[in-house]
Amino acid sequence: MNPAVAIAAFAAVSLATAGIGFYGLRISRTTGDFYVASRTVRPWWNASAIGGEYLSAASFLGVAGLILLSGTDALWFPVGYTAGYLMLLLFVAAPLRRSGAYTIPDFTEARLDSRVVRSVTSVVVVIVGWLYIVPQLHGAALAIRITTGLPAWVGMVAVVVVVCVTVVAGGMRSITFVQAFQYWLKLTALAVPILFIVFVLADSGTPAVAEGSVNPTGAAPAGMYQNVSLLVALLFGTLGLPHVLVRFYTNPDGQSARRTTLIVLGLLSVFYLFPTAYGLIGRVFAPHLAQSGQADALVLLLPGELVGGMAGDLLSALVVAGAFGAFLSTTSGLVVSLAGVISQDLFGGSVQGFRRAAVISAVVPLGIASMTGSLALAGSVGMVFAFTASTICPVLLLGIWWRGLTDAGAIAGMVTGAVLCGGAMVAGAWLSPGGTPPWLAQPAAWTVPAAFAVMVMVSRATRGRVPRTITRLMTRLHTPERPLVTER
Amino acid sequence: MTRVRVTAPRSVRAGGITAGSATAGSVTAGSASQGGSAVTAARLAAASREAAEESDAGQVFVRSLIRSQLRLGVVVAAGFLLILAAFPLMLGLVPGLAESTIMGLPFDWVLLGAGIYPVVGLSAWLYIRTAARNESRYRDLVGDK
Repeated sequence: MNPAVAIAAFAAVSLATAGIGFYGLRISRTTGDFYVASRTVRPWWNASAIGGEYLSAASFLGVAGLILLSGTDALWFPVGYTAGYLMLLLFVAAPLRRSGAYTIPDFTEARLDSRVVRSVTSVVVVIVGWLYIVPQLHGAALAIRITTGLPAWVGMVAVVVVVCVTVVAGGMRSITFVQAFQYWLKLTALAVPILFIVFVLADSGTPAVAEGSVNPTGAAPAGMYQNVSLLVALLFGTLGLPHVLVRFYTNPDGQSARRTTLIVLGLLSVFYLFPTAYGLIGRVFAPHLAQSGQADALVLLLPGELVGGMAGDLLSALVVAGAFGAFLSTTSGLVVSLAGVISQDLFGGSVQGFRRAAVISAVVPLGIASMTGSLALAGSVGMVFAFTASTICPVLLLGIWWRGLTDAGAIAGMVTGAVLCGGAMVAGAWLSPGGTPPWLAQPAAWTVPAAFAVMVMVSRATRGRVPRTITRLMTRLHTPERPLVTER
Repeated sequence: MTRVRVTAPRSVRAGGITAGSATAGSVTAGSASQGGSAVTAARLAAASREAAEESDAGQVFVRSLIRSQLRLGVVVAAGFLLILAAFPLMLGLVPGLAESTIMGLPFDWVLLGAGIYPVVGLSAWLYIRTAARNESRYRDLVGDK
């Protein structure tokens, strides 16, 4: 690929991102603006923004790469990423919006009336956020290396710098516009090239893609356990992701939080058709990418391979722009939510503190990413989902729906989930990648029930610690907002 | 049963919560302790509304709303997961189905890669409709307009 084209594409996306960020600066003034855009964002904007933020490197590059490698088994990834939002809608969206909290630690502190729970939740949220940013940076490193030939660290540093500038300049308000723009950019960047490819293939009289079952790597299909465990992680991991949750506070009320989620489901469903198409076409026409270990770069390389010439260059530029859109949007969404948590716990929630916290939350994962090697993108993001599902998901679900949850139970459950799932991740990384047994490679199927069980049992044993505010809180979480006559 | 309540100030909820959480980062409107007469007024009004909602009669309605929303969520989730599990089972049990093609595309890919999304959307739409209906029934019960 022509390096100049790729660099131009990256520069254009960064400029557009920063530009929208600065534009947003003019309308964000108060601390409330900075955190949650004052809860005045319309459902369509908000849904596009949620989609933009959620569709990360794993979705844009990783899903197609994994489908290229393992075929129909990998189709569970996009299904799980989407169905996770269904679970979010069913169990979390409206009550969480009605809680009025800004961040997950805010929610757990208010629900359980305990500063200790708040601190434990904050630590877990920050770990999840950092773990999730690392694959985004690995994606950026891969994209820069493949498309321009520059050293990999350039990509990581560029993403971190652009994100810091945008977040420090405008907070959530501008982030909402940036993210909404990024969703449509990502969709276009995947859709246009693949439609072009399909037309070119059809034009050249290539036989229809009936042999999707070709297997370029000869890898054995995943077992039943692995697929189920993966689905558990994705279904229950989504509803605990910090950057996803913070978006719900920008809805004006619980009912609009639900409507937003419905739109998000539509946007995700449309989006995931395209990585699937890349994976299927890649399996038939570019299986050598899987054999040479470049599966994650499939989306970036396919237009150039199959179209070629000037048109191929332009299409590649579009895909590169979309990929950087994905790295930037997810990273900035995570940085905003982490900065919200860190600044409220360490810097007293001021605007200045928020800016400082934003820089901290972007630079730490840069350090981690540059010290660790890149794995399959969709796989490493799947591990983060497993971790979230074993820690934050139980405390949210039980906190919203079960009056009996106590602070001691919440802490015990979160620690259990974190230790079990984190231990499995470390043990899996320590063993050679091929030698990891399935129950370590996909731990969610047993770590999530374990965390739930510990949380319930310890809460039962410490029944006297149920906070006295519980009646009022449950009422607030579940009753519809009164129709407002005047907006204050 | 007496319908005490809930005619109380309607803008209170939004005002109270924003005032409570913007500064302290705490959710409970009642627990934060900022001064300011507007905040105090809002808090008093909120307290009277909440007192009504926390009365025994009010709590019966609230608990029944929570139960019906939870039941709805569980039913929709279970239905969706059953359909999801049925897809691979169908592919595995019906011989030749996975090898057949639709418009030149392999059937198993079409089913898992595209066919599941309408099911997700439909479940979500059903849920939202019913959840809103539960809430408007609650509003009717507590005499809220």
